[in-house]
Amino acid sequence: MTSWLSRAFSVARFVRSGKAALFSVARFVRSGTAASSARRPSLLSRAGLLGVASLVIAVSSSRAEDTFFAQRVAPIFEEKCVACHGEKKQKGKLRLDSFAQLMRGGEGGGVVKAGAPKASELFIRVTMDPTDEEFMPADSKPPLTPDEVKVLEVWIAAGASETALLSSIKGAPALAAPQGPTVALAPDWHPRALQIAQLEKTLGLRLVPRSHVPTDGLVLRTASSPGRCDDAALAQLASVADLIVEAELARTQITDAGLTAIAAFANLRALDLTRTAVTSAGVGKLVVLKKLESINLTSTAVDDAGVAPLRSVASLKNVWTFDTKVSPPGPR
Amino acid sequence: MNYFPTPFQTRRAFLGRVSHGVGAVALASLLEKSSSLHAASARPAARGVVYPLPLPQKAKRVIWLTMAGGPSQFETFDPKPKLAELHGEAMPESLTRGQQLAQLQGQRLVCHAPQFPFAKFGKNQTEICSLFPHIGSVVDDICIIRSMTTDAINHDPAHMFMNTGSQIAGRPSMGAWVNYGLGSEAENLPGFVVMVSTGPGRSPQPIATRQWSSGFLPSRFQGVQLNGRGDAVHYLTNPGRVSRAQQGADVQAITALNRQHDAFVHDPEIATRIAQYEMAFQMQASVPELTDLRGEDARTLALYGCTPGDGSFAANCLLARRLAERGVRFIQLYHRDWDHHSLLKEELPLRAKEVDQACAALLTDLKQRGMLDDTLVVWTGEFGRTPMSQGNKGTVGRDHHNKSMSMWLAGGGVQRGRVYGATDELGYAAMENICTVHDLHATMLHQLGIRPDAFTVKFQGLDAKLTGVEGGGVIEGILA
Repeated sequence: MTSWLSRAFSVARFVRSGKAALFSVARFVRSGTAASSARRPSLLSRAGLLGVASLVIAVSSSRAEDTFFAQRVAPIFEEKCVACHGEKKQKGKLRLDSFAQLMRGGEGGGVVKAGAPKASELFIRVTMDPTDEEFMPADSKPPLTPDEVKVLEVWIAAGASETALLSSIKGAPALAAPQGPTVALAPDWHPRALQIAQLEKTLGLRLVPRSHVPTDGLVLRTASSPGRCDDAALAQLASVADLIVEAELARTQITDAGLTAIAAFANLRALDLTRTAVTSAGVGKLVVLKKLESINLTSTAVDDAGVAPLRSVASLKNVWTFDTKVSPPGPR
Repeated sequence: MNYFPTPFQTRRAFLGRVSHGVGAVALASLLEKSSSLHAASARPAARGVVYPLPLPQKAKRVIWLTMAGGPSQFETFDPKPKLAELHGEAMPESLTRGQQLAQLQGQRLVCHAPQFPFAKFGKNQTEICSLFPHIGSVVDDICIIRSMTTDAINHDPAHMFMNTGSQIAGRPSMGAWVNYGLGSEAENLPGFVVMVSTGPGRSPQPIATRQWSSGFLPSRFQGVQLNGRGDAVHYLTNPGRVSRAQQGADVQAITALNRQHDAFVHDPEIATRIAQYEMAFQMQASVPELTDLRGEDARTLALYGCTPGDGSFAANCLLARRLAERGVRFIQLYHRDWDHHSLLKEELPLRAKEVDQACAALLTDLKQRGMLDDTLVVWTGEFGRTPMSQGNKGTVGRDHHNKSMSMWLAGGGVQRGRVYGATDELGYAAMENICTVHDLHATMLHQLGIRPDAFTVKFQGLDAKLTGVEGGGVIEGILA
C-alpha cells in the first residue's frame, strides 16, 4: 500500500507537471483499480452513520467567496459528506472539509485527479451503482443529486482548482432558487446531540430526528411509555425547545401547566394532545406558536372557548376536536 | 447489544444457529453504524437500524388488512362491463395462452360475468361493487389500485410473496423488516401484531404463522398474534396465588440466568429470549388494558358494528386502532375465506358484509381522531381471480390469478379519491401503470421514511432486501 501511495503521488506530480504520458496514466489507472479492490473496506470498518460533527468549512477569506470551489463544490461536501469525512470522523482517513484535506486524499491515496473526473475516486464513488457497497454517501444517506454530480464533474474536468473563479468554469447547472428545496424547520440539532441523548436517557422520552436533514428538526415521541411524560419532564426540555417540530403527547400525564413548556417550542408544527388532561384554560397559551399547523385535541376537556384563541394562529390548518365539547365541525 | 458469535461458542451450537449468526453479524454491523449517538441512550432497543431516517415519515405506522384467499377483483373494485357482455363465451386464447393456472389448467376457459352490479360513489363517482356501500361512503379517502400483479398463484407462496417479497418461506415479513428498520415504538406491546378472523361457516385454508416470521432477522422482530376471541393472549393471567410481584421476581431471576449464559455463548437468540420474557411480563399488564373496550362509547361500537370480544374482523379493526394509538408500528389483520373457486355468488357477499362496514369504520375513526394522515392502511388479497369461470368444484366460482388484482391504500401520504392503473377490458391482465408486489413494498417503505433500495441485510452472501433482487419502484403516481 505504501509503495502504491508513493507511486500514485509521484505519478500525480508527474501529471501535474504537465508531462503526462499515456503510458504512465494507464499504469496509474490500473494500479488504482487493483488497489481499490484490495482496500475494499469491510462492512464493519465502514461503520458510522451519524455525523455528530458540526460542519464547518473554512471559507473565511473574501477571495474564496468568488471561487467555484467555495461557492459550488464545498457546499456539496458540507451537506453530503462531511458528517463522515470531516473534523469529527474520518472514514477511510479521508476529510473533505477543506481543499487541502480533499487533495491530501484518504487511506487509498488521492481521490481527485485533476482534469479526469472518471478517473477520480471521489467521482467514481458517487456515480457508481447506488447498491454497490462502495457507493457514497454510504448507509442510505441521501445521494448526490444529478446537479451536484455535474458540478463535481465540471470542476474536476476544469482542473479541480481551489482558486478558479466562479465565472471561469462553465457547464455547471444553475443554482436552485434562493429559498431552495429544503426549508430549515429548526436549527441543526447535531451540536446538541449529546444533550439530546442525555435528555432521552434521564426523561425516558424520545427525541427523534425527522430525517437525515439536520435542519428538519426533532420529533418528541412518547408512545413508548406515555406514563413517563408529565409536566416536569416537559419543563426539562427547554434546552432543546427550538429543535422540536412535532410533539406526540397523546395519552401522556401532561396538564395545562405543561403547555407553558410547549409554548416555548418556537418551531413546533404538529402537536398531539389526544386524551390528556389539558383544558381550554391551557390551550390559549399556545397562540404564541406561530408555525403550528396542526393540533390534535381529541378526547380532551377542551371546548369552544378553548379553541377560539387558536383562530389567531395563521399557520394552523388542522384542529382535531373529536370527542370534545367543541361544537362540530371544529374549525378547519 | 453484542451479537457476535464468540470463540466460547461450541462448534455444534454455532452450526445449529448459523443462520441466526449470519443475520446477527449484519445486525451488529448495522447497529454499530448508527451507534454514535444512541450508545448513550436509555433504550437503544427502541431505535431501529435506519437512523436517522433518510426521508421524513409520511406514515408512522401501517395497518394491513389482508383478505386471505384472494378476493375477486370483479366483485370488488374492478368494473368490467365487457366481461358481462361475453359471459359464457370462450376466453380469447390470445390472452390466456401460456398462462399457468391453479385449478383450471387444461380446462375450457369461459368468460364469467361480474356477479354483482357496480355503483358510483363519492365526489369522484368512483365505481366499485355495490356489495361495499360503506367503503363506497369513504371512497374519496382511499386510493384504489386496479393494476396490481403478483408472481404466485397458490395461497401460501402468494401470501409469502406479499409479506416477504419472496415466494419461498424463510424471509422476514414486512412487519419484521419495518420494526427492525424503525425500531419498536411501544415498550409494553410488540411492534408487530397480527390478528386473524374468520367468518362463520366454511373452513378455509389456514394462515401459517410463518407469514409473520422474522426470517433471518432476530426473532424478537417477528409478529405476535393476539386472539380476537377469549383471552387475547393465552395464559395471560397469573395462576391463582401468584402475585404480579412474584411473577416479576421470577422473570428477573430467569433473565439473570439468561444473561449469565449469554455472557458465555453470545447467542442473539438469548437476547431475543430475554426481550420476549420481559415483553411477556409487560403484556400481562398492557394487554388487558388494550382489550378492555369499556372505554369505547356506544357510538364507536356502532360505527364498527361489533360486539367487543366477538373475534370478528370488525372487533379486530377496533383493536387495530387501539394498537395504533399505543404505538404499535405494524398491525396486520387477516380475514379468511375469500377463496371462491365455487359458491362465489353465495359466499362472497357474506365476506363483503363482514369487512365492508369495519374497513370504512376504521378509516372514519382514524380520520376523526387525526390519525389517518400518518397511518397507512392497506387492503389486499394475496392474488386476484380469473375472469374465467371455474365450474369443476361445484357451483361456479373463479380460479386464482396473478396477472391482475385490485387493492387499495389510505392515509399515510397516499392520494385520496384516486383510482390508479387499469386492466384490459376483460380484466385479465393489468395494462396501465402495472404494479408489482415489490413496488407496493417499496412504496410502503418510502412512506415510512426508508429508502427501499438501500435497506439491506447481509444474508447468505447477498444484500438481502424486502424488495428482492429485482427491486421495486416507489409508485410515485399515488403519492400525495
